[in-house]
Amino acid sequence: MTQRKRLSNVQSSSQSKRQSNSFMTQEEDEDATFTQPSTSQVQRGLEKLTAAQVDQKTAEVVQYILVKDQKKIPVRRADLVKHVIKDYRTVYPEIIKRAMLTFEQVFGLKLVEIDSKNHMYVLVNNLDASTARPSPVERPSNPKMGLLFVILSVIFMKGGVVRENLMWNTLKKLRVDPGQRHEEFGDVRKVITDEFVRQRYLEYVRVPHTEPVEYEFRWGQRSDMEVSKAQILEFMGQLLEQDPQSWTQQYREAHSTASSSQASSSNHR
Amino acid sequence: MRKARAGGDDEAVRQNGSSSRRRTDQHPGDGEDHDSSSGGVQDDDDDNDLGLRREIRSKYRDLINSVQQNREDMLSPSNNKLTEVLEEANKLFKDVRQAREAALDAQLLVVATDLGKEKASQLFSEGSAFDPSAFAEHLLSFMGLNRLEDEDDEPPNGCASDGYLPKDAWHRLARRAECCFRTAPSFHYMMGSFYTEPPPPKQRIERQRKAPSKEAKRIMPTQLKKMEESHQEATEKEVERILGYLKSYYQDDPSPISYYEFVIDPNSFSRTVENIFHTSFLIRDGLARLKLDSDKLPCIEPVEEEEVEAAGSFSRKQCIVSISPKIWRELIDVFEIKETIIQPPETQSE
Repeated sequence: MTQRKRLSNVQSSSQSKRQSNSFMTQEEDEDATFTQPSTSQVQRGLEKLTAAQVDQKTAEVVQYILVKDQKKIPVRRADLVKHVIKDYRTVYPEIIKRAMLTFEQVFGLKLVEIDSKNHMYVLVNNLDASTARPSPVERPSNPKMGLLFVILSVIFMKGGVVRENLMWNTLKKLRVDPGQRHEEFGDVRKVITDEFVRQRYLEYVRVPHTEPVEYEFRWGQRSDMEVSKAQILEFMGQLLEQDPQSWTQQYREAHSTASSSQASSSNHR
Repeated sequence: MRKARAGGDDEAVRQNGSSSRRRTDQHPGDGEDHDSSSGGVQDDDDDNDLGLRREIRSKYRDLINSVQQNREDMLSPSNNKLTEVLEEANKLFKDVRQAREAALDAQLLVVATDLGKEKASQLFSEGSAFDPSAFAEHLLSFMGLNRLEDEDDEPPNGCASDGYLPKDAWHRLARRAECCFRTAPSFHYMMGSFYTEPPPPKQRIERQRKAPSKEAKRIMPTQLKKMEESHQEATEKEVERILGYLKSYYQDDPSPISYYEFVIDPNSFSRTVENIFHTSFLIRDGLARLKLDSDKLPCIEPVEEEEVEAAGSFSRKQCIVSISPKIWRELIDVFEIKETIIQPPETQSE
């Protein structure tokens, strides 16, 4: 009731605002424990601001996230609020909603919250992988992606968890020794257990009850969002000259997750 | 890597050799002990026994180490290394007498069980098993490994050392693997990004702190100097000014001037006091002299410049002039002073 009243008050404001309202109520439920402003607070906040002010702040958020994405380290909501949103925190949900829309419509990217507990965002390419594949521009490739691919593949093919010993041994066969400086990657151990972990491509956690201490690798939250298991399996089939379907378990997993992520992305488009 | 593994293998071989040798050496003795008295082994020959204990422990440790280091090889389904290790351990266990050795045996069992568990998990996986070594092999081929002449057929040892990867090996793999990633292309500024250097804010703080302190330092001494200068100068100027009046008055009428007529300002008592004060400098410097006229009233006259030097030799007399507003008023009445001879300084009239 009261909401409808308020809505009629601000009917002059753009359509997107009303749309966002319904989304915000969803977000709010998940976020109840945090100091996220309520829908009514957002409405009241928006009434005090001009459309230009909100647009300006949205643009700042978009730029901040784009710049932060250069290092591929997830953006923390706390940092976003502290450095960019500042006094606009009452209308935070509206601004992040608009930023998401901008990323989707302007940049072909998707802003995803990978960690609903600590509120971290990453940017993911939202374009169809198959259409994006023949890149018109000869982009300089990042060799680290090759390394990451190997690691993620081994984890995936080994059922999701891999002891670090197996990982280091496999990498050693590829002339990448964690104990030695690699001419391409430098301090390989650091790249893998620190950089990839901070970027949320990998999880590197201690195995409980091991003596001496052992660690294991898993996929990080960013990989879940960004990496296609079906594509890995396909490449694997090419490499090992096997039918991807012969890895029954992996095939099933790849295609159950792939279909769900595809469905979600098609929804957005 | 190959070195490490090769070393490990060598050790294992040496170990096997030595252990078997020892066993043959020691078995007869051991057997005798067992035959005679099973309980008194330790007491019978202590030295030999201590050495044996130590050796058993070290063999156990070697075995545990070799299992941990060669874990991945032992895991591969193609070999029977785990069984070999267990057999070896069984042989060692024959000689185990003390808790310490038994603890090591138990530790080995933990490691072996862990391995067994992992081996079992390989069996459970549906469809084709995934062999990381084979994966690595194929990746090397994909990355354009240039194999050199002596290509070992033995996969793990051979490929780790032979051949070299082209420079763009990882780039090649990255390009092919790109399609697996839906990575957002990172954007960069064409002119490079604005680099927020930490130093500038620090400098700014320093500047802000320094600037006021410098000014404060500068202001304090100049103020002091000015005060002193102006004070001295003012007195000197005033004295000279009064001398000027005295001289011009004397030129107009070259007779001694009545001291009080000269000094008194009928409009201001304080000016009068100042005049008396400044005139006293003229007397002190010998530029003017005071004397009493026929009526025993003090009169003043300037000293000619030639006389100034001569005057220096005369003994000087001091006298104190006292004046009060009352006396000042009386003097004005008595001398009928209408105007002041010494005009107030310009700064005041201004």
